[in-house]
Amino acid sequence: MSELASEPVAQREDVLGTATADAPVRGPAPDPAEPLLVVDDLRVRFVGRGRTVHAVNGLSYSLAPGRTLAIIGESGSGKSVAARALMGLLPSTARVSGSARFDGTELVGLSEREARRHRGADIAMVFQDPARSLNPTMRIGVQIAEAVRAHSDLDKAAAHRRAVELLAMVHLPAPQRRFHEYPHQLSGGMRQRVMIAIALAGEPRLLVADEATTALDVTTQAQIMELLLELQQRLGTAIVLISHDLGLAASYADDVVVMYAGQVVERARTADLFAHVRMPYTGALLGAIPRLEREPHSLLPVVPGQPPDLSALPGGCPFRPRCSSATDECAEGPPLREHEPGHWWACWHPLPDAPVKEGV
Amino acid sequence: MAVVDAATATVASRPVGGRAGAWWLRNLEIAVPAGVVALVVLACFVGPLVLPVPPPVGGSVLESYLDAGSPGHLLGTDPNGNDIFSRILHGGQSSLTVAVAVNLLGLAVGGTLGALSGYLGGATDTVIMRVLDVLIAFPSLVLTLAVAQSLGASQTNTVLALAFFSIPAFARISRAATLRLRELPFMAAAQLCGTPGWRVLARHVAPNIAPQLITFGMLGMGIVIVIEGALSFLGLGIPPPAPSWGNMIAQGQQSLSATPMLVVWPCVALFVTVLAFNLLGETLRARWSGR
Amino acid sequence: MTVATRPGADADRAPGRLAALLASPGARLVGKRLLMAVPILLGVSVLTFWVLNLIPGNAAQQLLGPEATPEQVRTLEQQLGLDQPGYVRYLGWLGSAVTGDLGTSLVSGQPVTSQIGERLAVSGELVGLAFVVSLGLAIPVALLAAYKPGRMFDRVSMLVSITGLSVANYVLALLLVLLFAVELALFPAIGFVPLSESVAGNLHSMALPVAAIAFPLFCFYTRFLRGDLVDQLQGEDYVTTARAKGIGPGQVLLRHAFRNSSFGLITVVGLNLGTLIGGTVIVEQIFALPGIGQLMLQAINTRDFVVVQACVLVFAIVAVLANLLADLLYAVLDPRIRYGSR
Ligand SMILES: Nc1ncnc2c1ncn2[C@@H]1O[C@H](COP(=O)(O)OP(=O)(O)OP(=O)(O)O)[C@@H](O)[C@H]1O
Ligand code: SF4
Ligand SMILES: [Mg+2]
Repeated sequence: MSELASEPVAQREDVLGTATADAPVRGPAPDPAEPLLVVDDLRVRFVGRGRTVHAVNGLSYSLAPGRTLAIIGESGSGKSVAARALMGLLPSTARVSGSARFDGTELVGLSEREARRHRGADIAMVFQDPARSLNPTMRIGVQIAEAVRAHSDLDKAAAHRRAVELLAMVHLPAPQRRFHEYPHQLSGGMRQRVMIAIALAGEPRLLVADEATTALDVTTQAQIMELLLELQQRLGTAIVLISHDLGLAASYADDVVVMYAGQVVERARTADLFAHVRMPYTGALLGAIPRLEREPHSLLPVVPGQPPDLSALPGGCPFRPRCSSATDECAEGPPLREHEPGHWWACWHPLPDAPVKEGV
Repeated sequence: MAVVDAATATVASRPVGGRAGAWWLRNLEIAVPAGVVALVVLACFVGPLVLPVPPPVGGSVLESYLDAGSPGHLLGTDPNGNDIFSRILHGGQSSLTVAVAVNLLGLAVGGTLGALSGYLGGATDTVIMRVLDVLIAFPSLVLTLAVAQSLGASQTNTVLALAFFSIPAFARISRAATLRLRELPFMAAAQLCGTPGWRVLARHVAPNIAPQLITFGMLGMGIVIVIEGALSFLGLGIPPPAPSWGNMIAQGQQSLSATPMLVVWPCVALFVTVLAFNLLGETLRARWSGR
Repeated sequence: MTVATRPGADADRAPGRLAALLASPGARLVGKRLLMAVPILLGVSVLTFWVLNLIPGNAAQQLLGPEATPEQVRTLEQQLGLDQPGYVRYLGWLGSAVTGDLGTSLVSGQPVTSQIGERLAVSGELVGLAFVVSLGLAIPVALLAAYKPGRMFDRVSMLVSITGLSVANYVLALLLVLLFAVELALFPAIGFVPLSESVAGNLHSMALPVAAIAFPLFCFYTRFLRGDLVDQLQGEDYVTTARAKGIGPGQVLLRHAFRNSSFGLITVVGLNLGTLIGGTVIVEQIFALPGIGQLMLQAINTRDFVVVQACVLVFAIVAVLANLLADLLYAVLDPRIRYGSR
């Protein structure tokens, strides 16, 4: 396990430290013509008493089968809300508009009943806190079997067998015995494996991992990430990796989307992005990393200034109050454009093509 | 900026399912019961001073059983010729006084004991909780009777007797809230920093459990008013001829089929007051837990 | 029975069985709770004895009336054993109480235990029926309300239940009498029919008292359960996991939320059951039911402290047992406790 744990660190150093990032981070899957998921101008607002929170404001990306997309951004930038919108798991105060097409099917505007057919079967989700995400009063095997039976007509015994298989697939030792255990009898990493087994029970083609490793210690984080990659290669599942963790995105994702105030501010191939940062916000994220880079999986750094108030967004570039390159022009919102092949950003004054500055 | 942050956080964590137009309704949920409580308090304490109502006792038998709306007697008179409206107002005075006193005692003593118990844990916790268990298992009737008989039936003694039951209730809530609080990181942080126990209790525990205790106090007002009524109903509370809602109901029960209104009026007063306190408590609880 | 005849062989065959059973978390819990109950019961009995002792006047004076001479009173006191110091009387009482003898009534001269037995059956029936009725109605209503929170059914049921909770049980009892006995003459206000005489007649005579006790309980359980269900549904991550599996809202409600909410409900029911047996006094009084609450009230009025003492002890025992039962159920149902992680 130790080599698994150290691998991402070494790669991260490649990308951020020595800036030899033109080399591919990980053999990228070939770009198939047909994307699995196309998110286009997705918007989510929460209507509340007297105020409206604009949590997602025009999110667009596409994801091909079997590939990994990382969505990064500081807390409150709308990552989880956007992910839940795909699943139809938002509370009733949420108003979703725009489009998210999964394999040609529009997900936005589905009724609860229609959305339910996709949940688990097409798109599955792994959540941040495995301690709270499993029902404490149900045997873990039963919780997996429930997910199996949600989208198949297997009988109880067959679902049981399938659940044990899934437990074995996520490398939980002694799956037969573990089937009958309760969540509190497992460690955090084991619980997250169970969560992954639940997510895979419906054989989804897209897995959304919403900070799936944040609550785990560093070694376990790496193990869970390796498990996800292994399963991805075996099953061809596409992964949306939501994270605070730049290192994680650099190590495991094919593409990266940077979100700010519910919008995409920069989007590119992973290697491209880390080598040629354009958007000042992304630059600030990278620049604010302390020089102790070898420390594995540093959390998303703190960018000076306050995140914007999502219920009163001013027009123009949302990053303007915190941006050192801001000019009067920025009062007009910069559009997200593909300025270089495969590299999109939304900024009037992109950063020059230079390696990330050394030192703080 | 911090203000904005706090506001955003509140919006994000509010219980879902509310409608956009429900804002005024939510405030109505507090304003209406609070208004009713204020009205009842005002009527009971100020009413007899400013309204032309006769005294609650010392009526003449010649004036007994007058109908509602008789001149000078808004709700009529009881078998002793006393004005029912006046008795309801004065009865409310004693009910409310007893309820406030019992809940304040419970809040102060029970809240402190519970917080200590939950914070210190160990033997202190065990001893405090066992003693309170005994009190809870002890029928209020017997204690009230004993107090009434040995110290004399009076308002003060009713308060003392009932406080024995509000204290354990408050203590349990306070203890549970403190235990929940103890698991939060900032408490551990405070302890690790070497903050003395009393200071942690005063600075961190008290303000955090206060909302729950105050909310329970609202519900407790309703409970005590009902129990005080029950004791008076059984002849163990406020002794006649002094009025109380409970002893008025008991008196009216004797001629329930002939003059049901003798029972109905105090019942209405009791019900409206208790309902107002309950609504207030429930709304507050919903808001605090929705934080 | 083999245990008695061949203890050695039995121990050989299943050496760890009994030990394992006794050491199982469930058994340990029962043992612990029963041990904890002992000081509570002792405390309650001491407190009662002490408190009753504070009351001026005793059964001798009460029996003989105000005209009795001091000599007469003293003689009767000696006969009844009332002249001895309190602790002597308490220890004597305790000595026989542990053997199940709660003494003889100072007033009627009957053994208290048998008197209480009959009364307890009536109160037990009253409370038992009230619990069955209130829970039987509250669970489906709460589930329906929580299924679509904020909808009409939810709002109406919440309004009804908070209103119901604000009606004191004596108020409700009197209103029921006024409506169903006086106005409509559907049910009798008084006139208890023992179960042994006629089951139908018994239920008929119990209808109003049961309703008076069950309605507030129904309101309370409905609110409690509905609130907890909604909290689970909206606040708990495992509910999101369940929904993300693609299972239907009914299953999420029943298999996940209700399962978790039921633990809280069991605890609350246990606590209520304990306090309720003593809380039927007023209802028994209004409907003239020969229950234990009424017995205690009569005994209080006649200063028959032996009976009062016994009643208080019975109340305390029932409270302890009800809580124990709730804890046990909880432990059987909640795996976190069953497997001793808490
Ligand atoms: N139910 C809701 N009602 C109102 N606002 C909400 C609701 N849920 C989320 N929000 C708001 O939407 C914004 C985006 O939240 P989201 O959870 O997507 O952030 P995030 O990027 O996932 O952050 P984190 O990294 O902390 O998980 C936040 O400002 C949040 O306050
Ligand atoms: S558009 Fe202007 S304000 Fe926005 S990031 Fe670019 S330079 Fe900064
Ligand atoms: Mg999130």
